[in-house]
Amino acid sequence: MSGPQRARRPAQDAGERPAQDARRSQARDGDRRAVVTGLGVVSPHGLGAEAHWKAVADGASSLGPVTREGCEHLPLKVAGEVRGFDAAETVEGRYLVQTDRFTHFALTATEMALEDARFGRADVESPYSVGVVTAAGSGGGEFGQRELQNLWGQGSRYVGPYQSIAWFYAASTGQISIRNDFKGPCGVVAADEAGGLDALAHAALAVRGGTDTVVCGATEAPLAPYSIVCQLGYPELSGAGEPDRAYRPFTEAACGFAPAEGGAVLLVEEERAALERGADVRATIAGHAATFTGPSHWAESREGLARAIRGALAEAGCRPEEVDVVFADALGVPEADRAEALALADAFGPHARRVPVTAPKTGTGRAYCAAPVLDVATAVLAMEHGLIPPTPHVFDVCHDLDLVTGRARPAEPRTALILGRGLMGSNAALVLRLGGTAPRTA
Amino acid sequence: MTDQLDYQVTVEELSALMKRTAGVHVDPVTLRQQADDGFDTFGLDSLGLLGIVAELEKRYGLGLPEQAERCKTPADFLALVNGALKTGV
Repeated sequence: MSGPQRARRPAQDAGERPAQDARRSQARDGDRRAVVTGLGVVSPHGLGAEAHWKAVADGASSLGPVTREGCEHLPLKVAGEVRGFDAAETVEGRYLVQTDRFTHFALTATEMALEDARFGRADVESPYSVGVVTAAGSGGGEFGQRELQNLWGQGSRYVGPYQSIAWFYAASTGQISIRNDFKGPCGVVAADEAGGLDALAHAALAVRGGTDTVVCGATEAPLAPYSIVCQLGYPELSGAGEPDRAYRPFTEAACGFAPAEGGAVLLVEEERAALERGADVRATIAGHAATFTGPSHWAESREGLARAIRGALAEAGCRPEEVDVVFADALGVPEADRAEALALADAFGPHARRVPVTAPKTGTGRAYCAAPVLDVATAVLAMEHGLIPPTPHVFDVCHDLDLVTGRARPAEPRTALILGRGLMGSNAALVLRLGGTAPRTA
Repeated sequence: MTDQLDYQVTVEELSALMKRTAGVHVDPVTLRQQADDGFDTFGLDSLGLLGIVAELEKRYGLGLPEQAERCKTPADFLALVNGALKTGV
């Protein structure tokens, strides 16, 4: 695309103002808004936002047996695997060799997001105008396992030098930046599953601070033998053997969660810059807040999550009654599910019983940091399609919530609240509004 | 193993090693023609060269001089490595 001439303020060029300054200046003028213009999705439901949405809207489930090599004997039986993903189709040789599957997902989802936003080379005013922020919980476990097996099996000479970077949580941010020559503010959020939402908040801060474009999201690849063994110690992990019984939050049959791989990358842009280049403003990142209540202290997460919700609503200038749909964290542990239902009641008051709540992740599994980012992508699509997707495998809800089950529910959601909690105690809430605020310049 | 010490690393082998260990594909003809260009122009970074050195050390069972991983061009690298292989250093 040929980028139209942009009227730019000098302060926007470098995009290197510290985040705190950005928040202060945002509080003063609220001039720069972070909007979503592109979605890149690599999901157990399929590759690309369209394939993902189709399955989500149908209430389909892609949970299935764990089929990855070397995992057959492990007690984790059900997960959301990304099938039919051939990294060689989307990632060039040197990145394939140098990076783990979680980075292959990230690079692929980034290309999808850029393409979805029709953000081309001509739109990159300066390499410094584009930043990258990702969240990661597992890092490159499969790559790391292979190299460590070489180390102990054959000796140090058999460990490849790329082990030094491929396993690392920061690998995806670095490789997205290198591959696309994006030299704006880059960061990695290592904050538990809720970190996926924190990454988006971080991207929004960077935008408010002067960076026009931020590639932001999370992808995970925790379905390899070593990575699975690391998860077996989580009491919240579901040990169920049947895909339709493994992950059923908010029911009497809740028995933990099924993990997943994949994730989503979003293109986040400053609203005016997006409009000036002719982009479609899909949604606005309106508010976010995060709290911490300790690992597996699920009863305490009630207060933490309620505070995060209130904080996100306050930043968005949003009353509880304006929230049209909630994408729940939906851990699938009875105590955690109760805490989440009560947190909504605490923060929303009577609106908590009226607002439609959904958890489409029961059809994909929880991809750790990527889970809430995938929910954000799904929320954008749900608002655009006027359809609240259902919660697969869930019937007989035992909490005081209007959980959408069975079939998708036609609605006109304009404001979505996305919730995320991590096994290590992080809680986060993010408010997303459909479209932008500025009049479209066509 | 003396028969291996006489061995010389060819441009073809270097090309294959670049592809296998670093995922950088430069065909041998191009590599020979541009042997004096920097490794970075082919997209091979310092970690990539380190991997190639390690691979050669494994293959020939000897340690290459430290300068090997700091060579800037394919020509320099092959000259240094083949010199070392010849003397068995």
